[in-house]
Amino acid sequence: MTGLLPSRTGSGRHRVERVTTEAEPAPAGPAGPDDAEVGRRFAAGEEQALAWAYERWAAQVHGMAVRAFGPGPDAEDVTQQVFISAWTGRAGYRPEQGPLPAWLTGVCRHKIADTWARRDRQRRATEAAVAELNAAPAGGPAPVDSTVADRVLLLGELDRLGQPQRGIIELAFFADLTHTQIAERTGLPLGTVKSHIRRTLERLRDRLEVDGAALHA
Amino acid sequence: MPHCTPEDLGLAALGEPLADDEAAHLADCESCRGEVARLRRAVDALAVPELAAPGPPVAPPPGLWAGIAAATGVSAAPRADVVAASAPAAGPVPDVVPGPLPAPVEPPTEPVAPVVPLRPRRSRLLLAAAAALVVGLGVGAGAVALANRGDDGVPVAATVLDPLDGSDASGRAEVVERADGTRVLQVELTAGAPAEGYYEAWLLDESVSGLIPLGVVRAGTEEFELPAGLDLGEYPVVDVSVEPLDGDPAHSGVSVARGQLDT
Repeated sequence: MTGLLPSRTGSGRHRVERVTTEAEPAPAGPAGPDDAEVGRRFAAGEEQALAWAYERWAAQVHGMAVRAFGPGPDAEDVTQQVFISAWTGRAGYRPEQGPLPAWLTGVCRHKIADTWARRDRQRRATEAAVAELNAAPAGGPAPVDSTVADRVLLLGELDRLGQPQRGIIELAFFADLTHTQIAERTGLPLGTVKSHIRRTLERLRDRLEVDGAALHA
Repeated sequence: MPHCTPEDLGLAALGEPLADDEAAHLADCESCRGEVARLRRAVDALAVPELAAPGPPVAPPPGLWAGIAAATGVSAAPRADVVAASAPAAGPVPDVVPGPLPAPVEPPTEPVAPVVPLRPRRSRLLLAAAAALVVGLGVGAGAVALANRGDDGVPVAATVLDPLDGSDASGRAEVVERADGTRVLQVELTAGAPAEGYYEAWLLDESVSGLIPLGVVRAGTEEFELPAGLDLGEYPVVDVSVEPLDGDPAHSGVSVARGQLDT
């Protein structure tokens, strides 16, 4: 079983350059509908819309995953999971509530938080195994990293917020805008923005103090 | 001085500066500071750079779609050249793979292993990225079945795969053009399971200086979508190799069956 290939001549390099040069100008333009239409077809379960969504927004999703985990298997797994979950959970996407790429960003936050939580479980399992090996006195299970658990809980609570509350708090958390900037961006009165921020933060606080306490117990 | 309003407590939890009077009160009031701390727990958990609004886009590696297609059963596929061109790939990814990376496969005792290395790793990945490969990666690794595509297409080229140098592998390969103009290579392989590693299908040019990896093959029939624009006259040779599970995407140099498409 040794059909060795003959020696390379080194002539492949120009081919590489040609192929990549061709790839650059490839426009997404004429080959598909506009983003809003892709979102509607995605929600309707049209398979081609998943392919279009990937063409247009996989790099944005993967950029977030790489920012969180660096390039490699964890980031690649997150990006795959985002599109798989988005497709299987497309019933949860409402085009009238916002553009598809923003929704994909939200799914990506969940997957990043899930990956942190999984790593934390693995860490505790490893620590428990080490403790057992060392015949350490049973001191109970290693503590959960509460911030990691909080994130999973809180992202779930954000999903339950309606608009404009959700958009407002996301601008504060994820775009680092002040309430004044949020008011300018959304066109909502300053007082309205402030009171939405307060109510949402109180809601998140309650969620953490009620369910979070049970979770960490 | 009255306590801070609930609105101001919320803004303080977000780290926004308060007016002087409110800020002075907050500094002295344990009750208000306690409220801010309770509200801030959510802010601290979520307002972190890793969850922030998307930053610079990074093109996903070409193999990523295969896992999504396998898990969702969706047969429509993104155009790989569009995905590759949508953003730069992740930095020097292939060169900073975490963890120990085996040295390039160059068997020290064998005088000839001429295929590997083919060319600098980076260029190989560019070729791969541009050529729309379905190389298994992560979830659902391996060949993606395109069987339920619904149109059978027209055969445009075929070849018998002859065993090489004492291998027991043989088979047949056929290129089929579908109604929408896309082409698939169907590989029908008869072979025992390799002693170790896995079989991989490639298209080679006649001088064997250019290689296009297609994906993992098992005994039986597998289909691989060919990159749009690929000139079969330029890459007419269908090759099946045995690849060790060493993470190196290059051809191992060990081929078990080969045939030239009659285009």
